[in-house]
Amino acid sequence: MMKVSILNSVPKVPVTSKVTGTLFHFCLIFFIFLFSEKIFSQTYDISGTVSDTLGNPLDAVNVILVGEDIGAASNYEGKFIINNIKPGSYQIEFSSLGYQPYSTGIQIENKSVIINAVLHEKPVETEQIIVTAGKHEQNISELPISAEVIPSKDLAERNISNLRYALEYAPGVNMVEDQVSIRGSSGYSRGAGTRVLLALDGIPFYTGDTGEIIWEIIPVTEIERVEIIKGAASSLYGSSAIGGVINVITKNMTNKSFTYFKSYAGAYDKPSYNEWDWSGVYRQFNGLTFSHSNSFGNFGFTLALTRIEDSGYKQSGFFKRYVGYFKGKYKFSSFSDLTFFANTINQRSGNFLYWKDINHAFVPPDADQGQRTMSNRYMFGLIYKNIFTDNFSINIRSSYYKTNWSDETTSHNNSTTNLYRTEIQTNNKISDNLILTSGIEGTASNVNSNIFGKPTANGFGAYSQADFKFNFPLSLSAGFRYDIDKIKTLETFDAVSPKFGLNYKLSDKIILRSSLGTGFRAPSLAEAFTSTTASGIIVRPNPNIKPEHNFTFELGVNYQALPNLNIDAAAFNNEYYDFIEPELLVDFLGVSFGQFDNISRARIQGFELDTKYNIVPDKLNLSLSYTYLWTRDLNTNKALKYRPRHIFYANIDYKISAFEFGSDFRFLSRVEEIDDLSRFITDGKERVAIYTLDLRAGYNFMTFNVPGRLFINVNNVLNYYYVELIGNMSPVRNASLSLELFF
Amino acid sequence: MLKKLLAALSILLLLHIYGCDKGLSPISAEQKAGFSGTITFLGNWPEGITRTHLVVFQNELKSSADFNIINLKYVSLEIPYGVKTFNFNSTDSSYIPIGAGTYEYVAVAQSKKPDLSLIRSDWFVAGVYYSNGDTSKHGVLEIPENTLVRNINIVCDFNNPPPQPPGGK
Repeated sequence: MMKVSILNSVPKVPVTSKVTGTLFHFCLIFFIFLFSEKIFSQTYDISGTVSDTLGNPLDAVNVILVGEDIGAASNYEGKFIINNIKPGSYQIEFSSLGYQPYSTGIQIENKSVIINAVLHEKPVETEQIIVTAGKHEQNISELPISAEVIPSKDLAERNISNLRYALEYAPGVNMVEDQVSIRGSSGYSRGAGTRVLLALDGIPFYTGDTGEIIWEIIPVTEIERVEIIKGAASSLYGSSAIGGVINVITKNMTNKSFTYFKSYAGAYDKPSYNEWDWSGVYRQFNGLTFSHSNSFGNFGFTLALTRIEDSGYKQSGFFKRYVGYFKGKYKFSSFSDLTFFANTINQRSGNFLYWKDINHAFVPPDADQGQRTMSNRYMFGLIYKNIFTDNFSINIRSSYYKTNWSDETTSHNNSTTNLYRTEIQTNNKISDNLILTSGIEGTASNVNSNIFGKPTANGFGAYSQADFKFNFPLSLSAGFRYDIDKIKTLETFDAVSPKFGLNYKLSDKIILRSSLGTGFRAPSLAEAFTSTTASGIIVRPNPNIKPEHNFTFELGVNYQALPNLNIDAAAFNNEYYDFIEPELLVDFLGVSFGQFDNISRARIQGFELDTKYNIVPDKLNLSLSYTYLWTRDLNTNKALKYRPRHIFYANIDYKISAFEFGSDFRFLSRVEEIDDLSRFITDGKERVAIYTLDLRAGYNFMTFNVPGRLFINVNNVLNYYYVELIGNMSPVRNASLSLELFF
Repeated sequence: MLKKLLAALSILLLLHIYGCDKGLSPISAEQKAGFSGTITFLGNWPEGITRTHLVVFQNELKSSADFNIINLKYVSLEIPYGVKTFNFNSTDSSYIPIGAGTYEYVAVAQSKKPDLSLIRSDWFVAGVYYSNGDTSKHGVLEIPENTLVRNINIVCDFNNPPPQPPGGK
């Protein structure tokens, strides 16, 4: 009934209208049929960006929809897009060499989806490439020696403003104040000389007068990674590499405008004991870094400026520091380029040599109150690289390092130094199995100082190293270096430093390595010519000082126990001859004085165990390392000064979503021997084992397309009081908040 | 995963517990290694004395060569001229602080030089420490770790000076 009534209710229309209506319905049905797939099955896009944890865009990252035959790769801006995706649920996966894969579920309903992914570097990376061991690219698992890599993310996560603090966590490495020691190579000599060579992109970076490393000048935010070679490396690097090499690899400039901003602020806790609370307030510190990188045609550059201010947890422990860094690269062609570096630092600081006594552990002696030190240092470097053929390339590295400092002690110590260095290196791929690396290097320095005098030093070195790679899993490395040095009035000396190493892949999981090497170290100008009085301690020059030498042997094994568990073990033996150490002497008038001299025949033996365990893939990582050092002065049969017998580091990282948490634990046993300065330093013998625990928490805004990260760091959480150096309390508990932005 | 996380946290906790010691701490005078006592001066002080110090040598002064800075382990601040008694405590300020150990020669030395000379002939020994009243040989001072040794008393009799070590005038 109803239907009839409806029909009856249809108004009458003309015939033409009927035809038109029929045609309309026909066309409607036709088009619905024609586009039915589009209408009833609309497709969408998945797009976004991929970056690393520092916000740097990652190119060539594979982006795939798991189970579908669809995917894309990110471009140089880190952007990707996958078109024509039907509505539904998918699993999208991001993967790239050297990074942990990242996957997440997505739901596409009625609009396109944007995903911004952040990839973390792989924690267990046995296929890592490093350039320090042979001065050319090598797989770390194919080296005959022990090596470590500190990635840039570790520096940011720990809010490291001075590279020395990052090295405190590297297996087998420990710091005594500002002096670095690899497997017990160094004790403490008030900054005079170093047994570990620091290099910036391969350019040696120590001062011309004291021969020390100025950690503060290293632009931490511009570091790509830090490569550490353990054991004598004089066969390639000459003097100072007697204990190892630390090579700081800086970041490449970006292809597009990239700006980085970091700011942090924090405070030191008050000491727990009223006697030690010298200021009554929470001492503060802060820092600011601005960095910009860009490229225009064949030219790219990075400029970074940093200002750090620390009011000091110790009286006279304050400093204010300005660090400048510029790196510019001009590409002549795809095969040749020229890189220019400039590093500068201006620093004003208090002078805290040692405490008044244990009851005034954060206060210097009355006579040292109010002392200041001012320093300006500049390092300019040039690196020219030319790949002539697929098999032959040349690298020329040249640098000029000027240092100028003065203090306000009673001696008014000051020094101005110029250090010039040039190295020409060739890499010759003689066959698929043989790479020959050769080079020559010349150095010249002059000093004008009231404590070192006006000495000059000149040196020349020539080296060659052959790396053989056989068709079966054996790699051999053999090389030598000849050095000749002339230091002012000292006798001219020369040294030949050969080395030999092998690496054998026993199975897919086990790699054996072994190396024999020799090293030498010329005395720094400070060790030979210092004549001063510092806080009552008289130091006299030694015109008879000679270079020291060593012979090292290492046997190591790397075991990939599980895909996510890597264990590395090494045993080592270092024999030192004419070991240079400071000693306390008495002259014929009964006056005591300090002097550097070749006093010892020394031996350092030990072993190292390093484990990296990715407990929950992509989320929970654990690193443990233990180093046992048995050091001996063979003349006195006592332990070498400032060397702990046991070093243990533990690190845990946990990441969940945009949050990350971490903890670092450090243990160093109480050093057995120190300098006998008890006559100068009240309670100078007071020292304990070192336990420190650092905690951190971070939040990465990249997940929400905001290019920034926030970190909270609490160092020395236990507020454990210890000294690394006589009468010099290490930092108390401190907390900081840091913010990084990228745009 | 929870088990693994708990295991990792347990390791962290273990390390934390090991590190719960606070490390170095201030040391009260009573806990500090050192010695204290009284110096008594008998008779009239000699004319022209510019410096009087309590000094401690590690080894006995058998020759003038033993009078050297390496052997010298403690030098007090100046003892005021003309005093009759002087109470001292080595944990107070000093020119050269002393630590735990065994010391064979403890004396009060005087000089007429304005500077703190290290030349043996510039000094005259006014009094020597004798243990248990035995003046036939000088006493040995033993300072254990974290202990203040008391009653190291010395008598300086200007009218009856002790035997002088070799090298003096």
